[in-house]
Amino acid sequence: MKAVEVFELTKIYTTGFGKQTVRALNNFSIEVEDETIYGLLGPNGAGKTTLVKILLGITNLSTGSAKILGQNVSDYTIRKETGYLPENHRFPPYLSAEEVLKFVAESNGINPKSINSKIDELLEMVNMTKWKKAKVKTYSKGMMQRLGLAQSLINDPKLVFLDEPTDGVDPIGRKEIRDILARLKAEGKTIFINSHLLSEVELISDKVAILNKGNLIKEGSVDELTTSKEIYKLSFDGNVLESDIIDISSKYHLESQSENIFTAKLENSEQLNELIDALRKKKILIKSLLPQKNTLEDMFISLINESDKEVKNG
Amino acid sequence: MDNILVLAKYTFKEALSRKIFLTFFAVSSLVLFVFLYMAVTIENSAIFEFFRANDNATGISERIAEAVQGGITFYLFAGGLFLSIFSVSSFIPNMLEKGMIDVLLSKPVSRAQIIIGKFLGGTVIVYANIIYVVVGFWLIVGLKLDTWNFYFLLTSFAITFTFMVLYAMIILTGILTKSSILAMIISYLIFFILSPLLAAKDNIIGLFESSTLEVILNFFYYIVPQTAELAQITNYISTGTFEFDTLPIFVSFLFMILNLAAAIFIFNKKDY
Repeated sequence: MKAVEVFELTKIYTTGFGKQTVRALNNFSIEVEDETIYGLLGPNGAGKTTLVKILLGITNLSTGSAKILGQNVSDYTIRKETGYLPENHRFPPYLSAEEVLKFVAESNGINPKSINSKIDELLEMVNMTKWKKAKVKTYSKGMMQRLGLAQSLINDPKLVFLDEPTDGVDPIGRKEIRDILARLKAEGKTIFINSHLLSEVELISDKVAILNKGNLIKEGSVDELTTSKEIYKLSFDGNVLESDIIDISSKYHLESQSENIFTAKLENSEQLNELIDALRKKKILIKSLLPQKNTLEDMFISLINESDKEVKNG
Repeated sequence: MDNILVLAKYTFKEALSRKIFLTFFAVSSLVLFVFLYMAVTIENSAIFEFFRANDNATGISERIAEAVQGGITFYLFAGGLFLSIFSVSSFIPNMLEKGMIDVLLSKPVSRAQIIIGKFLGGTVIVYANIIYVVVGFWLIVGLKLDTWNFYFLLTSFAITFTFMVLYAMIILTGILTKSSILAMIISYLIFFILSPLLAAKDNIIGLFESSTLEVILNFFYYIVPQTAELAQITNYISTGTFEFDTLPIFVSFLFMILNLAAAIFIFNKKDY
């Protein structure tokens, strides 16, 4: 069973008594495997939050279908198995952390006998034990985020949606949240993260999707997305001058990066083998050959730029 | 059902935490205290004199108690509902605040359960306060005149029913506009102006002799909750008179159900 199945989902918002429409999601399809961490990336207004809200029944879909844990998202009972940390969430300011968690636990139909121990366990996990009795109105942004994470886990969900989970959290707190997510994944939970913080998503996600203006523009594992298949980094043993390989370099787009280090832009793996043969023919010793890696951020920016250009060019 | 009770409980808790319940209780206690002070300081003979009654006449205490409780019912109906509307009008707009509604809707609770839970919670808060005041007045009058009119206690149900009718409309307005001020204004408009005006529709029609006006007033008479008539019914109940026209109860009940149904329907369709 897939944790999330979205098929040709479209969401159109209408404003001004139906005079204006905004297409927040456009024929969007994805599948999220069980027990994985799935990162959804995109610039502001890409439709990330809309997608999560549709999956949780907070927003209605226009066309298409969406299922979580095998059930239609319109069935509210499935939310017994899900947790959600919304972006910029708020809790009633007159409640304490303990009371917020109690309310969420009771809304989830959790056995009253086990609520108190669960609350203590979660507050300890997010480092909020000493704030248990303090009113929410006294909390900082980071504390609110920690409490938000705790409430999303109160029902021991199979699938957790986190919208900007490290927003407003200091670097140490971010590391703690990353560790919690890794622990949750090890416990067999599926985690769906929306984030602007690409470096964080890169560190923890098994699979990533990039969304721009309501369209899915790329999906794959972090490795697949960050590995540039055509570009290889070659280092040679001994001195190799550009003039020694001038005939090869034009054919295989070899460029010197520094002494004995070159990059090659190749069409396919056949060409890669041809290059190796050509170098060996010239008695050049290859020390290493590595596919060039980009950061997720490099790839994200280039994909978004390309997608924007395509939209502009119609 | 459990979800509805949880939501009702937290609506009650919200009223407690935001001092709504406390304010309500304090105002009620103050009114009761003033009344108790009057009861203690004013001699019974002065009361009989005020009512121009002979204190030896049979059943005179009962009749005076009825008159006093009738007056109390009038002020309790108007004042109690004024305060109640003020107290609950922010429940829905607060719930719909960005960030707050996301958390609530992501839980395994249907939107209908949320509306019904809020409705029940608000009703319980108001009933608790109304019964406190009604029992308080009943005890003071009973002890003072040594007469126990149990019908007076039933007014708590009649006042709460009128509140429920208006509260259903407050919920619908809250869902549509997210504005507590607007919900309050519309309720007060119906309660203090429109309904009393429509209750006097026959006089107005007779004054202007316009068939168009007659159609308009009759139309509104049957769709607007008849709170003026409900006030009169409450007064009848306080004296143990149960022979009254039940149409206002039926129209108001229908109004309440339709408003709640519309609130649930629209809430289900809305995106947050």
